Amino acid sequence: MIPERLRKCVQSGLSIIVGTADAEHVPSCCRGLALKTSDDFETVTVYLPAATSHETMANIATTRRLAVLCSEVSTHETTQIKGVTRGVRLAPSADEVFVRERLEAFAESLASLGLPRHVTRSLAHWPAFAVDLTVEEVFDQTPGPNAGNPLK
Amino acid sequence: MTLSEISRCFHGVIPSIIASSDRHGVPNVTYLSQVHLLDERHVVLSRQFFNKTSRNIAENPQVCIEVYDPVTFEAWRLRLRFLRTETSGPLFESMAMRIQAIASHTGMSGVFRLIGADVFEVLRVERVDGYLTGAASPAEPLSPTGGYRTELRGLQLVSERINRAEDLETLLAAALDALAVYFGFEHTIVLLNDEAAGRLVTISCRGYGGGVGAEVAFGEGLIGTVAAERRVLRMTGLEASLQYGRAVRREILSGEGGRTIRPEIPLPGLADAQSALVIPLTVGERLTGVLAAESRDPLAFGEWDEAYLGIIGNQIALGIDRVMQEESELDAGLAPPPRALPARMRRHTLTYYRDDDSIFFDGEYLIRNVPGRILWKLLAEWKREGRTAFTNRELRLDRSLGLPDLKDNLETRLILLRSRLREKFPAVQLTPTGRGRFSLVVNAELELVER
Repeated sequence: MIPERLRKCVQSGLSIIVGTADAEHVPSCCRGLALKTSDDFETVTVYLPAATSHETMANIATTRRLAVLCSEVSTHETTQIKGVTRGVRLAPSADEVFVRERLEAFAESLASLGLPRHVTRSLAHWPAFAVDLTVEEVFDQTPGPNAGNPLK
Repeated sequence: MTLSEISRCFHGVIPSIIASSDRHGVPNVTYLSQVHLLDERHVVLSRQFFNKTSRNIAENPQVCIEVYDPVTFEAWRLRLRFLRTETSGPLFESMAMRIQAIASHTGMSGVFRLIGADVFEVLRVERVDGYLTGAASPAEPLSPTGGYRTELRGLQLVSERINRAEDLETLLAAALDALAVYFGFEHTIVLLNDEAAGRLVTISCRGYGGGVGAEVAFGEGLIGTVAAERRVLRMTGLEASLQYGRAVRREILSGEGGRTIRPEIPLPGLADAQSALVIPLTVGERLTGVLAAESRDPLAFGEWDEAYLGIIGNQIALGIDRVMQEESELDAGLAPPPRALPARMRRHTLTYYRDDDSIFFDGEYLIRNVPGRILWKLLAEWKREGRTAFTNRELRLDRSLGLPDLKDNLETRLILLRSRLREKFPAVQLTPTGRGRFSLVVNAELELVER
């Protein structure tokens, strides 16, 4: 059964972060742009800006391991997905509208906290990489005593 | 790039991210409420509920954090190596107090607390190139102090005004006025320590449109925490935590109020404050009160402001002490002034509740505790004997008012009473007529009811 919280991860307006580690286990992080699934969460695709994800791409190429953090800005409700990369590709131009829409929704979320929309819109977002990963584990990562509890 | 050059990133306005990895190389990523800048080579992370990250750090001391400039939204990645966890000492105490303040605000005292202060060595600081496209907001120079200011002149002026003030009301009004003019602090509050009640009472505020008389218990919220700890608290990026905390606090307070017919006075404070600077007013070891400044600007208060407000706080504390001392000395030897006849106009009902000394006018809460007893005494004598002229000395000598023999804070209570009357029930006023003397001015027909 798919946890409700995992389903929420593909909603718009979320803050998305990915974490990776290199072969020496040195971690790195990078802001993501959007998340979607086409096989009911057996895999998810996370979009990362090409401009800022060099290190993340290099780590994925080496270790294939990926952690994706999805957070609702206003409530801090946060979910972490962990899995193994299935494939990495340059996102096709057909996906550009989707990525832009997600960035716009993120700008709306942050605007409610006072960050001007034009600042969020200026985040590098295209071209982007699309990383497919198999969902292995899902954790509650909302700040508090339950952070780290498995949801799947 | 040095850490001090990106100091805005450490104000907690935009949550930072931490990536860690376990001994097998499985990454973990999560948010950090705040990264504390310790010095040019070290940062500190607070550990409250860290769990997985904590376990990873125990296995693998290398972490990566990403921090964001709250003005330009530019990003920096910091490569860190874990050094040690502190569970006592000045660093721990200082961080614990900040967390206690937030916990108190969110109704989580004792639940949400600092377990440890994790100190990390900063190995590298890297700007995330290409994070923003060219359309970014106009970047401001990164300056922790904000450039040239007029604080020195402001400090001089505040000192002069405080030293010249003949009474507490003038002193506090002058101090808050100068803080607004010379420091740009538009929202300020002074609360005095009511030792007998174990609470702080708002005696003067600026920029809130009321709020005098609001009470804060020791250890409650930012202000109560500062009073209990007697340490300065400077908090930035309060947006999410304090907005939520204020809502919870209001609920808790309304729940504690007991009978619904006695509404609590709303606590002073901006509903959307994004930063706060709260300073204990102390003379020697004694806490006189608390001075608090708030702002909607998440970066309003820097170290510079903390230093200056600290100096002003000391002067205000000494000034309060001096004025109160003079007031007590002056009272000796003053005879009660003559009586006068009351005026009569509109009709109001004032109800005095004996069990908590609270007074309501036409069903609306006015004041309680010692100021309530004082007002009732004055009104009773006015009603019975037609008296309108009173002295502080006779109030001090009246045992029924329950003023302590030493440090009775009578002047404070009278200011509070005057301010509440002005704000809520202007039909009755207390007008100073000289040092240690005042008149009761009643511009209404009053029915006094005791329950």
